[in-house]
Amino acid sequence: MKSLKAILATILSLIIVFPIAYSLSASFFSWADFTAIPARLLPSQPTFENYIRAFRETNLEQFLLNSLITASLGMMLRMTISITAAYTFTFFNFKGRDILFILIVATMLLPSDTLLLANYTTIRALRLTDTYLGIISTSLLAPAHIFMLRQYFKTVSGEYREAAIIEGCSDTRFLTLLLIPISKAVVVTLAIHSFSTIFNDYLWPLLVTNKASMRTIQVGLTMLGFSENFDYGPQFAAITVLMTPVLVAFILMHKPIQESVSTRFTGR
Amino acid sequence: MNRHWKHSLKPYLLILPALFLAGLFAYRPFVITLLNSLYTVSINGQRIAFVGLDNFRRLFVNESFQTSLSNTLRFTLYFVPVNVFICLSAALLSHREGKLATLNQICFFLPMAVGLSSAMMILKMIFNPFIGIVNQLLGISVEWFNNPNAAMALLVIAGVYLDIGIKFLLLHAALRNIPANLVEVATLEGANPLQLFKYLQLPLIAPTLVFVLATNIKDAMLISSPVLILTEGGPFRSTQTLVYQMYLEGFKSGNYAMGSAIATVVFFLTFLLLLALLQIERRRVYYQ
Repeated sequence: MKSLKAILATILSLIIVFPIAYSLSASFFSWADFTAIPARLLPSQPTFENYIRAFRETNLEQFLLNSLITASLGMMLRMTISITAAYTFTFFNFKGRDILFILIVATMLLPSDTLLLANYTTIRALRLTDTYLGIISTSLLAPAHIFMLRQYFKTVSGEYREAAIIEGCSDTRFLTLLLIPISKAVVVTLAIHSFSTIFNDYLWPLLVTNKASMRTIQVGLTMLGFSENFDYGPQFAAITVLMTPVLVAFILMHKPIQESVSTRFTGR
Repeated sequence: MNRHWKHSLKPYLLILPALFLAGLFAYRPFVITLLNSLYTVSINGQRIAFVGLDNFRRLFVNESFQTSLSNTLRFTLYFVPVNVFICLSAALLSHREGKLATLNQICFFLPMAVGLSSAMMILKMIFNPFIGIVNQLLGISVEWFNNPNAAMALLVIAGVYLDIGIKFLLLHAALRNIPANLVEVATLEGANPLQLFKYLQLPLIAPTLVFVLATNIKDAMLISSPVLILTEGGPFRSTQTLVYQMYLEGFKSGNYAMGSAIATVVFFLTFLLLLALLQIERRRVYYQ
């Protein structure tokens, strides 16, 4: 039974990893390898040509830069807004607090995909199309993050903050020197999640960018435009450049990733 | 007095950014979408005349919409069980000790590292009926992009590939959190793996499973980006989904009223399905 489980798990693993492994291999294919019949698993003669062409013949660097800028900027703003809001909802007593909290968290029920058209008209009216701010605008509010951070902050006694404030500590200092360090695990997880969500977003950046110079990598990747004559090489090189750092990070950090999920969703 | 004001105003100022964003990018567009679906709307997004439910009447006799609706529901019907089955299998099969088990686990969440458009580009290439590796390895000649059923199957495969990473992690964590002594006792009492799953593991991971089902139903009802990259709704609109049609109406034809009407239908349909799930949950799932 144990070995049957292992065998089945390994077969399923191989199927799931196959597309990733294949695209790593295909990034070293020559043009002839792509059209070879029968189709090839490994390059006939590994070549770096695709990588050179991907960077030389396309805007790949610009796309990557745009994605890195929007994802970092978006992540920082989103975390700042979420942490500030969660902090206020946890440690302040003010009129209408619970209603306002529900009002923000309830936006989880309004899926952003159904709001695309209306949000697009807003961004166009604000003249934010083809800007970084336009690309990140709809990702800045993360109601689930605010909810989760508040759950964490609630485990810290309000007395700590009162004592700190009486001692002359400002809210900013209390947040950055005490609260964030002790909630490091959840803050880091949410920050990584924010970064990858914005980095991987496809439909919204596609809608709000028209200029090629403003496209993010996820949009640019599908427009590299070699596939007409099965010239997939540069595209696979670009895909590999994009995913390799994340793959390595995931493999190295598999333990903390698994642990963060188990604490995040089960509260243990 | 001045200081007191400052003090009591402070919390409101601190939550202002979040409130502002909720208003601008959630509540306002929601209200606008509902309103637009009841009006005729110009290409610039200006409401022209109130027409009541006319847009919906036109929508429901529109053949393209009927196709989208049935495609979306069919996709949801195929995707949700297939995805849950595969993610749960991955979690159960890799719920072992040892190096190989760890390797299996890493493989199962690795698709998370591949972005949406990268994943779709890879699938588009390997499922190419002429030069793709999939048909060749399996020794089949399926026309993945020309046969309506195959295209729908491909969309389900794409959906599973995009989702397996995170859902595997969640289910795996839920399984790991079951106290080891419970499993030990059950095994000593002679429970076979099937009984172990049915009477111990399944009830204890049920809350996580409900979360997985809810997000899957929502994602399936809203699927659009994979359609856009992979099949563009084809062949013969067989993979045209509701949100994809909304995108076409709104951004390709400039028909905001129709687009908004579709968005409204998607919203309420998804909401109803999730309510139904919660009803079932209330009766069947017990929280610890």
